[in-house]
Amino acid sequence: MRPALLASPTVWTLRRLWRNRLMLVGAVLVLAVAVAALLAGHLAPYDPIALDIEALLTPPGAKHLFGTDELGRDIFSRVIYGTRFALLIGVAVVLIEAVIGIVFGACAAYFGGWLDTLLMRLVDIMLAIPTLVLALAIAGVLGGGLGNMILAIGITGWREFARLIRGQVLVIRTSTYVEAARAMGAGDARILGHHILPNALGTVVVYTSLEMPAALLWAASLSFLGLGAQPPTPEWGAMIAEGRGFVGQAWWVSTFPGLAIMTTVLGFNFLGDGLRDLLDPRTARGL
Amino acid sequence: MTRYVLHRLLALIPVVIGVTLVVFSLLHLTGDPVRLLFGLTVPEEIVQQRREELGFDRPVAVQYLRWLGRAVRGDLGMSITTGDHVVAMIRPRIGATLELTVLALLVTLAVSLPAGVISAVRRNTAVDNLSRVAALFWVSMPTFWLGLLFIMVFGVWLGVLPISGRAGDVWTLEGLRSRVLPVLTLGLPPAALFTRLTRSSMLEIIGEEYIRTARSKGLAERVVVVRHALRNALIPILTLIGLRLPWLFGGAVITETVFAWPGMGRLLVDAVMKRDYPVVQGIVVAMALLVVASSLLVDLLYAVVDPRIRYE
Repeated sequence: MRPALLASPTVWTLRRLWRNRLMLVGAVLVLAVAVAALLAGHLAPYDPIALDIEALLTPPGAKHLFGTDELGRDIFSRVIYGTRFALLIGVAVVLIEAVIGIVFGACAAYFGGWLDTLLMRLVDIMLAIPTLVLALAIAGVLGGGLGNMILAIGITGWREFARLIRGQVLVIRTSTYVEAARAMGAGDARILGHHILPNALGTVVVYTSLEMPAALLWAASLSFLGLGAQPPTPEWGAMIAEGRGFVGQAWWVSTFPGLAIMTTVLGFNFLGDGLRDLLDPRTARGL
Repeated sequence: MTRYVLHRLLALIPVVIGVTLVVFSLLHLTGDPVRLLFGLTVPEEIVQQRREELGFDRPVAVQYLRWLGRAVRGDLGMSITTGDHVVAMIRPRIGATLELTVLALLVTLAVSLPAGVISAVRRNTAVDNLSRVAALFWVSMPTFWLGLLFIMVFGVWLGVLPISGRAGDVWTLEGLRSRVLPVLTLGLPPAALFTRLTRSSMLEIIGEEYIRTARSKGLAERVVVVRHALRNALIPILTLIGLRLPWLFGGAVITETVFAWPGMGRLLVDAVMKRDYPVVQGIVVAMALLVVASSLLVDLLYAVVDPRIRYE
């Protein structure tokens, strides 16, 4: 065994954390986004939806760091406020995915038999339908808008969660403490809720950070297509769509919100990549 | 082989029925298509009348069976807005979408196989570390934004490439030029992921004994790496291609919208905007079928890549 194991698990984890600088960069980026979302009111120099007809499509400069859009709104302020929507969308989507995935995955693994077969067939079938295509169709049927878009992505993107939870529960189900609980007369609901799910939760938490980038990119795509946040909401995907008509004369309108999406997603990717390494040292030098 | 293919094709029937069932129920349970079509201001009686005309007043199960019954005969219904047959609307666009996705996949492989091999051969050097970071950068890039950046740089600033449409045939100069940006937009981002996979699967194989044997026979390193190692490393790459197929078609929807590419994706987005329910449903099902069919094709390629794999 490696000598690092002689140190306490905390020290070992901290050491690996330090060694994994990419993960640290990811943590810093995610933290920065969270801080920007919390303090948007203080950080943004302008009102994100205030029009200024004196300053239409102003290039980036001292007064407007990222320039202004076709209605004279300050893009830097809109990007800052956009962090709120990004985090809100990401967290909400992943929560919906996790809830559906946990219910389906845990029931499939715990009860087994025909229910397992049925639910896993459903997962297989849903994996054949491109998430973005299905989410786009559902968001359209629901009528678009921020809430409907979140719902649409949530009810299409849960499949990987279900598989993951199923795998976890299959393992935990056979452990002695579950048998002990059953011997003591605990019902299915109690065993699932009190003994199995809390033990599967660690993996779920890590997986949520891995799922976050996909959720953010899907949401930005739907917003870009006009099915998510509606103008004048300072949502990044929608901002890029608005700037699309001006790529010739005002590159900054869609460039900065795009950089914001990329930085945020990158933060979560670095973080998730590192977390996966921490949990499973076998893949540490893999991908 | 023929028996295997037939067997696989038969096994697809329940999957295809499942796909239609999932798409149909998800779309029907989440919204009221006719109300959406008219908006909230139109009185209920008119909406109800149209619902009856379109058969949307029946129970969902009845609607599904009727739709499925027609679908197996190649009729996916008619567009609510134009009255055209959905199949007739989709058919001329399948080619454009397949062309875009196949070319993009070729770009992905053309970039990632050499890059992955170099990363593996020079593992833990600066080149390798750079490719790890670059991989995470590329997968964090929103497709539509990359497309816009390409339009901005190559279309507007440099003015060297057309920024929309699909001109002529792919082998004409004009046709080729119109394909460069959309294909790169769809093909480049996944290349990063494929590079990393190529690297890790090459590393695994380079440690095998037959590689040592090949080297000790005195074969040139190039031959060892390409013919002995890469060929065997292709199996996991094929698996990844199979797994990424839904992403590829999802990405095509975005790419087609950005570049006004006349494919199924753009038709889908248009139909969603017009709330043209039968068209939306038809395209989602058609795209899922394309994914299923391409997965089957990928499965059959395993035997081509690795002759040890036999299908019985």
